[in-house]
Amino acid sequence: MMFHEYKNVIEDGDTVIVYLNHNSMSPLKVEAGQVYNNRFGTFKHDDMIGLKYGSKVVNKDGKGFVFLLHPTPALWTQVVPHRTQILYLPDISFISLYLDLRPGKIMIESGTGSGSFSHSIARTIAPTGHLYTFEYHEIRAQTARKEFIEHNLTDVVTIEHRDVIANGFGKRNIADAVFLDLPAPWDAVAAAKDALRKDTIGRICCFSPCIEQVQRTALALDEHGFSEIRMYESLAKDYEIRNIPQPDIDEVIDGQRVSFKPVKSDKKKRKLENDSACSGTDTDANGSTVKELTVTKPTDVVRGHTSYLTFAILAPEEGDDIDMSE
Amino acid sequence: MEAEAAAAAAAGTVQLERTVIKAGDHVIIRMPSSNTKIVCIRADTTVSLGKFGSFNANALIGHTFGHTFEIVQNGQIQPHHQPGFDAADITAANNQTIVDDPKSQKLSFEEIEGLKKQSLMGAVSASEIISSLTANNEAFAHKTEFSKSKYIRRKQSKFNKCFVPLETTAYNLCDFFFSVNMQKTRGIRTDTLAQMLALVNVYAGARVLCVDDGQGLLVGALLTRVLDQGCVLGVHDGDVPNYDVLRYVNEPTDGRLKTLAWSKLKYQQPAFAEPELTASASENDVLGRARRLRGHQKLADTLAELRSGDFDALVVSTKYAARKVVDRLLPYLGMSRMVVVYDQCKEPLTEVLAWMRDSHMFVNVQLSEGWLREYQVLPSRTHPTMSTSGGGGFLLSAIYVGGSV
Repeated sequence: MMFHEYKNVIEDGDTVIVYLNHNSMSPLKVEAGQVYNNRFGTFKHDDMIGLKYGSKVVNKDGKGFVFLLHPTPALWTQVVPHRTQILYLPDISFISLYLDLRPGKIMIESGTGSGSFSHSIARTIAPTGHLYTFEYHEIRAQTARKEFIEHNLTDVVTIEHRDVIANGFGKRNIADAVFLDLPAPWDAVAAAKDALRKDTIGRICCFSPCIEQVQRTALALDEHGFSEIRMYESLAKDYEIRNIPQPDIDEVIDGQRVSFKPVKSDKKKRKLENDSACSGTDTDANGSTVKELTVTKPTDVVRGHTSYLTFAILAPEEGDDIDMSE
Repeated sequence: MEAEAAAAAAAGTVQLERTVIKAGDHVIIRMPSSNTKIVCIRADTTVSLGKFGSFNANALIGHTFGHTFEIVQNGQIQPHHQPGFDAADITAANNQTIVDDPKSQKLSFEEIEGLKKQSLMGAVSASEIISSLTANNEAFAHKTEFSKSKYIRRKQSKFNKCFVPLETTAYNLCDFFFSVNMQKTRGIRTDTLAQMLALVNVYAGARVLCVDDGQGLLVGALLTRVLDQGCVLGVHDGDVPNYDVLRYVNEPTDGRLKTLAWSKLKYQQPAFAEPELTASASENDVLGRARRLRGHQKLADTLAELRSGDFDALVVSTKYAARKVVDRLLPYLGMSRMVVVYDQCKEPLTEVLAWMRDSHMFVNVQLSEGWLREYQVLPSRTHPTMSTSGGGGFLLSAIYVGGSV
């Protein structure tokens, strides 16, 4: 099982994402002979082995069920055990596109944190690229290393326990892109410049929750010769969907009783059969017709801030006589 | 560096080629006004940047992307050092006594136009124009440091002749079309495109089914993430796909991109029936037959690819009713794979969402909208930009578990 490649059938030793509902998912390592318990019942691992990813498994008494999903970096971000504040998809995806990550790119990340972004980077640059990720917290580095091994990412990810502010990255002229998620990214800008390639555009992103950090980072980037300094916030808003009744006020004017009753459950089926999914009419118990509308509204609480994303490029050195021998 | 190269080689990595601007490349030019345009750098031609002047394409060939260049005399360009942040700081000056007065500028309209003309010929530099504008502006001295700096930046964006050539990356292309011709790419904004690529889990070896009625931006972006072991199969209306955006991508896409017309979705292709040509056949006949045979074989390959099924992702941005577009392609999608549908408006996706929710073929069905905000970052003057895009489109995503229910 790989995090950066799909397969079709679940085998002994694979990691699956157990899906109960969209608020409740968890990673599970499938091992012959084991059982898995959750609030929907008891599930035997032996029943999972040999199934296709995406399959539904029913518990022992045949009542509860879960889906066994193929892990992806996006799902991993939703289930990863938080050891630090993690990066979420709107940031991960925007940074990846801005830094032009794709197969073959060499990337440096610091710190590794909980590895949420690392998984996504690895998937995008594999199999010909490489991620060097640095974490100064020793236990976090060990935990992340274990995860990378378990997820078969070691061909594309190298993790090092290292304080990059004190010691730099130990890399020169190799990286296409650098990502800094550090309390004082400005102190690592010089090291980032060292690590970036000088023969093509180098790109950097600094990830900081506070505007004061952005100010200092931008000054440091400017001082070290980075250009095109741009700063963004990237967030996303989820919508809920529901059907709401739209009774006719004329019926009230005419003295009738109107119903605001929620849609009946068997309605779903009828809708599918009728091939119309969006809006329609429902007949309530009294026989009066209630118009209804499918509507969306933003979820009540959304993530309002994660971090500011400060980007810049390091223009290549011009001319054929660039000293690449360092 | 050698040790690094060895380490990189050991890790199975490759160093990319130095990226210089070659004749025939498409380049995104960022102009002093921050506006961008796409130009094709053809040898022996002149590239016009409108009021900012023009330069010889040859002068740019061989240079690397990302530098700032200034147009000097006779269409020549020279590297230009971008000034860093100005050190403007909070001062006691304020706008208490400043009254808007067009007469505060002592240079006449004609004089300013004259300076501009000289500047285009390279006789006067942008900084010289700006100095004479500030020197002749009575109100300038009374402005705050911030205000002076802003005035100068505004004038620079008008009179500078500096530009930055940028690569036509997926990000830059999306940003470009979003700002100049949003309808071409169906209004997809950079953050939304980015989320699509992340959600569909495209990777080097992925086989991606794609419907892109936004002229190929989506197909092009997917292709940047796929190597030869994967592919993007674009299903399109009409006989040939309209993937105009692909021509701005400076990399060949053949092999990884396959395309199929909707009208061929259910097509049962007969064997190639044209008889072998006799020895007396004309050259035209020979070429014609070979061309038709290639076309036949290409369609056969694409149909075989589609019908081998188990695709790793389904990505849709369509002008057709999206529910059926998704439904007709679902049989070719693998289990536990992502479906992502984009639209500039929410309502078409709401219909698809209601269907997905009720169909029991999907889990983790989500409708979302990106929210992107750019900031000006300057010492003591950091704030969101005054105008920003009101929307970058909506995404519907779901995991397909169809066969299991």
